[in-house]
Amino acid sequence: MIAAVLDDDRLSETFAALANPVRRAILARLVDGEANVNELAEPFAMSLPAISRHLKVLEQAGLVTRGRRAQFRPCVLNAERLEEVATWAEQYRRIWNDRFDRMADHLQNLQGDAPDQPNNEPTEESEP
Amino acid sequence: MMSDDTRSVVIERTLDTSVDVAWNMWADPAHFAAWYGPGGAAIPVADMDVRVGGRRLICMEMQTPNGPMQMWFTGEFQEVVVNKRLVYTDAMSDDQGNILSPEQTRMPGDHPETTTVIVEFEDLGDRTKMTLTHVGVPTDSPGAMGWNMAIDKLVEYIAAA
Repeated sequence: MIAAVLDDDRLSETFAALANPVRRAILARLVDGEANVNELAEPFAMSLPAISRHLKVLEQAGLVTRGRRAQFRPCVLNAERLEEVATWAEQYRRIWNDRFDRMADHLQNLQGDAPDQPNNEPTEESEP
Repeated sequence: MMSDDTRSVVIERTLDTSVDVAWNMWADPAHFAAWYGPGGAAIPVADMDVRVGGRRLICMEMQTPNGPMQMWFTGEFQEVVVNKRLVYTDAMSDDQGNILSPEQTRMPGDHPETTTVIVEFEDLGDRTKMTLTHVGVPTDSPGAMGWNMAIDKLVEYIAAA
């Protein structure tokens, strides 16, 4: 939660770009190698301009880079940005691990206060 | 790397305490507030009506260079089996518990407004094993499967790069 909220906008942008099945399919296709717009459009019942718009979103999110040759402008997958997505779940893992560390500390403090009653809650407000 | 469900996190932790105490870490607001916040943050509000259908409202307060910043989270307890299993939802909200849309929280478009936290407790005598699952996408949602299949290929690619 916290990490996701405080995340820079970039990861949000990456996720927004990935939040579309056509764009994910385009990326999956680019895993096999670079391709131009025509090639990318082939599997879809979509107009070239529609595909181009999707490509623009992917490009703006940094997930795809496009060559400079005006005629072909092949699209290439930018793996670096995808790694950021792969670490998304890791952020949550870190948050919970930190929380559990603090929970263990908190427990130790409680038990330090009441060493003879390890099975009882040492504070009154703890009663369910 | 990612698990089968790229949007869930599973963590196991064994605590040196009885299952009663472990349960109260989650069910008693005073204890919950003691550990839940991120490092350096305080939990000034932890209203928890721990019963099925009960609401929760949590406030996290962080100190920033621009002064204290509050974030509120709300949700509902979905399963409450004392000392065994606790399931609740979690979403960003305002201080009244009104859930914020992803736009309001600057979250990406498909980020779920509401995530689900599942805590399972296993009584090991003087120790307790907790298994936490934080689900970012309901595993039975129509989108979850396609999303995972598409990203599996991408993850393989990253691993090979």
